[in-house]
Amino acid sequence: MSLHNNRQEFLGLNHEDVLGRYRVAVVGIGGGGTHFSQQLAHIGIGTVCVFDPDHMAENNQNREVGSTENDIADRTLKVDIAERLMKGIRSSTKVVKVPYRWQERAEILRGCHIVFGCLDSFSDRAELEVACRRYMQPLIDIGMDVHSVGDEYVIGGQVILSMPGFLCMRCVGFIRDDVLFKEASRYGAAGPRAQVIWPNGVLASAAVGVFMQLVTPWHKLHISTVCLEYDGNAQTLLPSNRLGALQGRVCLHFSGENHVGDPFWSPENQSHAESVQDDQVQAVQQ
Amino acid sequence: MNVVFRISRDLFKSVQRDLVRPHHFASERVGFLACRPGALAHGAIVILAQSFHSIADDDYVESDLVGAMMGSAAIRKALQIAYSDRVSMFHVHMHEHFGRPSFSSLDMRESAVFMPDFWHVCASHPHGALVLSKDSATGLCWYPEVRHPLPIGEIVVVGAPMEVISYVSA
Repeated sequence: MSLHNNRQEFLGLNHEDVLGRYRVAVVGIGGGGTHFSQQLAHIGIGTVCVFDPDHMAENNQNREVGSTENDIADRTLKVDIAERLMKGIRSSTKVVKVPYRWQERAEILRGCHIVFGCLDSFSDRAELEVACRRYMQPLIDIGMDVHSVGDEYVIGGQVILSMPGFLCMRCVGFIRDDVLFKEASRYGAAGPRAQVIWPNGVLASAAVGVFMQLVTPWHKLHISTVCLEYDGNAQTLLPSNRLGALQGRVCLHFSGENHVGDPFWSPENQSHAESVQDDQVQAVQQ
Repeated sequence: MNVVFRISRDLFKSVQRDLVRPHHFASERVGFLACRPGALAHGAIVILAQSFHSIADDDYVESDLVGAMMGSAAIRKALQIAYSDRVSMFHVHMHEHFGRPSFSSLDMRESAVFMPDFWHVCASHPHGALVLSKDSATGLCWYPEVRHPLPIGEIVVVGAPMEVISYVSA
């Protein structure tokens, strides 16, 4: 259904058609991912693929947009909550539910034009970025954390656009070997990270703005690298100071020959991908 | 089988710039994109453009039939790249207009003649042809063991801005 005077005509006369063609992945349907799902449905994105193996639990109630108390009792899959949320907003949104880790259904992820990453760990982020670079998919990552500093707390977060061919999350200093090592060494010992709804909302909204600027640019300043830093105490979201120092630099982490595509390509692999059609991966189309 | 083609904005622009350069006798230019394939869900494939290989000025031959005719050296060099780098090769030329371009019957006939040669040197990979316009593109993909070319369902320019420049509704 075409909606005239929907107050977003500045995105282009044919923006509804353009947005309707996009197939977007949201990896991690928690506090950040549900914000994305909600906004992508409002905007009119054609297909949203949601990846998360988890069920709704009581400790998600403070941030899982669209969830209800019944979902806690029913242990509803988070992808089901996202689907209900999106279809309630716009029934024509095609929702592909993937109740698995994205690595287990990577073929579905590769088919998306743009990926939103809402993952908890640095290692998961690093892995997702490698996959997105290999299949030439822009990755928009968000994340937040709460740190204890002395006798108070500091809320921080980030929005990063990792565009193939441009600076990556390692280039901007977000993914570092020492961070990955520290994370790996405390594996199993760390408690759950603090998560609250309002920073996720700020970060997800900014990330959707980055996405919209890519697909329906309303001005001519095209930005290929985004690294925004959130200070939840000062209530600011500002470009990282690191970007100034990195101007003119090229990414050396994802460059050179053979950095795209399947390095083990054979028609047999392709046949295997064809068989990956699990009955739990459901395309729900109006 | 659905085929998706992705190319970075920088590479797409450099291909367009190269193809509109004048040649001293050919009325248009051609080239090859070296690409790598990957598998998508439901048997679809994605072709990812990696680098562009322009045809050297001396490797064109004069022809009254077509705007640009490659000599045997040009095809041999493209075959060599496919063989040594294990890549998919996509022949590219450009129609200088806006809107969706289409292959002429001559384009189709010529492509069908030389495309199978790439399977002699890189049999496992899909190969193909693209025709660009100033703001769109159309493509065909010859997949191993499929005799006739498959239309490329979607061509995406990846970058800022991001564009789906060719889209065939499923």
